[in-house]
Amino acid sequence: MQKVLPLSDFRWLALPPLLFLLLLVGLPLSRLLYEGGLAFSPALLSDAYLQWRLGWSLLQAAATCVLTLLLGLPLAWVLAHFEFRGRALLLRVLMLPFVMPTLVAGLGVLALFGPHGVSGLNLQDTPWLLLYGNLFYNLPLLIRAAVDGFDHVPASRLMVARTLGASRWRAFWRVEWPVVRPWLASALCLIFLYCFSGFGLALLLGGQRYATVEVEIYSLVAYELNLADAGALALLMLLLGAVIALLYALIERRLARPDKRSPPLRQPVQGWPQRLLLLACLLLLALFAAAPLLAVLLRALLADAAAWRVLLQDDTLLALGNTLRFSLLALLLATALGLLHGLAAQRSAGLRALMFLPFMVSPVCVAFGLLLAYPAYSATLALLVAAYALLAYPFVAKAVVSARDALPAALPNAARTLGASPWRVFWRVSLPLMRPALRRGMAFAAATAVGEFAVSLFLSRPEWLTLTTLIYQHLGRPGAANLEAALVLSSVLLLLALLAFMAIEWPEKTHARTS
Amino acid sequence: MFKKSVLLLALAGVSLSTLAAELRVMTHSSFSLPKERIAEFEKQSGAKLAIIKGGDAGEMLNKLILTRANPVADVVYGIDNTLIGKANAAGVLEATSSKVGRSVAVASLPGAVAIDYGYVTLNIDKAWFANSKLPLPATLDDLTKPAYKNLLVVENPATSSPGLAFLLATIAGKGEEGAFQWWGKLRDNGLKVAKGWSEAYYTDFTRNGGARPIVVSYATSPAAEVFYSKEKLAESPTANLLLKGGVFMQVEGVAKVKGGLQPQLAQQFVDFLRGEAVQKELQTSMWMYPAVAGVALAPVFKHAAQPASFSNPDLKAMQHKTAAWVSRWTRLVIKNAP
Repeated sequence: MQKVLPLSDFRWLALPPLLFLLLLVGLPLSRLLYEGGLAFSPALLSDAYLQWRLGWSLLQAAATCVLTLLLGLPLAWVLAHFEFRGRALLLRVLMLPFVMPTLVAGLGVLALFGPHGVSGLNLQDTPWLLLYGNLFYNLPLLIRAAVDGFDHVPASRLMVARTLGASRWRAFWRVEWPVVRPWLASALCLIFLYCFSGFGLALLLGGQRYATVEVEIYSLVAYELNLADAGALALLMLLLGAVIALLYALIERRLARPDKRSPPLRQPVQGWPQRLLLLACLLLLALFAAAPLLAVLLRALLADAAAWRVLLQDDTLLALGNTLRFSLLALLLATALGLLHGLAAQRSAGLRALMFLPFMVSPVCVAFGLLLAYPAYSATLALLVAAYALLAYPFVAKAVVSARDALPAALPNAARTLGASPWRVFWRVSLPLMRPALRRGMAFAAATAVGEFAVSLFLSRPEWLTLTTLIYQHLGRPGAANLEAALVLSSVLLLLALLAFMAIEWPEKTHARTS
Repeated sequence: MFKKSVLLLALAGVSLSTLAAELRVMTHSSFSLPKERIAEFEKQSGAKLAIIKGGDAGEMLNKLILTRANPVADVVYGIDNTLIGKANAAGVLEATSSKVGRSVAVASLPGAVAIDYGYVTLNIDKAWFANSKLPLPATLDDLTKPAYKNLLVVENPATSSPGLAFLLATIAGKGEEGAFQWWGKLRDNGLKVAKGWSEAYYTDFTRNGGARPIVVSYATSPAAEVFYSKEKLAESPTANLLLKGGVFMQVEGVAKVKGGLQPQLAQQFVDFLRGEAVQKELQTSMWMYPAVAGVALAPVFKHAAQPASFSNPDLKAMQHKTAAWVSRWTRLVIKNAP
């Protein structure tokens, strides 16, 4: 076992992100709990209905994890092993579901599986549609993480295994699986937390029966101002989320191993069996990740020219500018925080688990807590950007942790031995090796930064209009023109996001060898 | 270093803009007035308007209540007759009146100044009913009959204000016990509950690809359908279904916030909202009727039948019983309890 020199223990770097978490989550949440007096009714937890909701929240989160893993891992394997034209673009397109406003994604899903859906299959108000929606949103996370994992499998080791007669399957189990596992762990943890405390899509696609506990908390806080019960539920959710995150952290820390860094091994697609495999893989991706987006795009393209004139309106231009500005600010903050937290977390399971804190706390409790804790700052841009960054930075941190775990110790150690300062080692050796994963994390972070969370729960101002807010404004009024405007704007959002992903993750000159 | 300076610049920009006299207006998320009107007020008053959207009206009021020790706004627009009792009891409002305009008989709010009013009621998809040859339901009770199974979508009163308004109308129309019996039958007859208006209207209503031809919406929605249509429509594709016990009149108003920093400017803003220009424009920007008598109605409103009657519980009952009614409704309809 190689040991990294103690000087490269960066745990102290966690101070800024921890302070950030304390200010944006810890204090507001405590303030809210204090306001509620923590005098919640014990009857709350013995309520059979609530127990059912809690059970359902856990079940659908677990089911989504299993499904994304079963579906995503083979897809990722194919994407990681074969070189084909458009591969880099495909990996970026894959992240687009992330930027889609829930209601628009719901429109897309219903255009396929709704009462008048093109599939002829009406799944509205069934749990299947909810699981489909969860797959749609979460598959990208798992696939991107797994592809990164496969890219870290030393090509030489895989080739040796195959030369020694191991079947593809055996080579996968014995060589690739151990390398990929830790990469999957963090993605699955994130997916679980996302679905567990999920709010929008579940309710939209599954109907009220399949509402999660977070919906109950939202209603208690925003409508009834019953902070005592809401606080108790939020604490319970936090506790369960923390158990999951800690479990992940322990598993990942155990599984993590530095690899012998060598360029990924990708074959060109040759022969019919491989072509068919790739085709099947693309079809599955089209069905689960692209179809609802395509439905939205198609409906926007079929809209008349008048609908596209929405692009020339002042509001649209304002929204475009704001979307770019806020995303950039949030991305900068999220990258700084994520990098620090990710680097600091390598040795500590606690720090690893803590980086998922933003996804463990009830969003509505945080929003109301922030209002209570900092009334003077409640309608400032600084707070809004900080809130965006809060939800974006775990993606960066997660990517950095995984990349750093995989970092071969020999290279930084050699640089240290040759007299380079720890900082120089970091800038010249470690950071360049972590760059692909870091960029992937940043792309996801940018995608969440334009999301709808901060829009709906925080105080906002009309001059802060973003594309997502504008889309919801149109969908807040009757009329065919409003629906078409929302679809056109959603298409613009998709295009903008794709450009952003390309810019952030500009395909680096790969040194992929072909065998 | 670059990142830090960008952030510092952003922070500096925020604090600089607060140097001029500023009136902080809290509104619900549907507030909308033409930009020229806002600019006109700023010019007249010499102050800068900071409009702060606090979410749905119920959520907005709760935010005001939570921050009453350090008010985050000087004046609030969008508190309606379902919330005014709660707002007054919580002591977040300064009793407000206006000398501008005379209220129409139906629209007033205790302690606040009425700005507009409207009705929450059922909307139908005309084409669907024409195709199915099914007669329109004539009473709320018809909706519980097998012929109307799976045809209605309502918004959850625990997460949506039109949903709450419709529940209140049924309670006023049928009496509490009668109303909940009706809701129980409706549940068994395939009632769909959506989270909010947008979800109901754009994913469940047949007009937009859903499966339900009857939706809880606003009485002005058929007019808005014409206003926001793609080609000029001669008549609206939707219509109001005005049933006894199925119409709620909503009155929205404006009031000064207790402890606000700019009481004078706040009063100016209240009077401004009562002025003729705003009263005219709010009709097609917020799809409500003007609360000031004598203001001409927008021509497009001819496509929306204005209800002749409505059923609202009295303000006291709404203040004290709404929470209990909503939780009873949730138990009955969502939790499926007997």
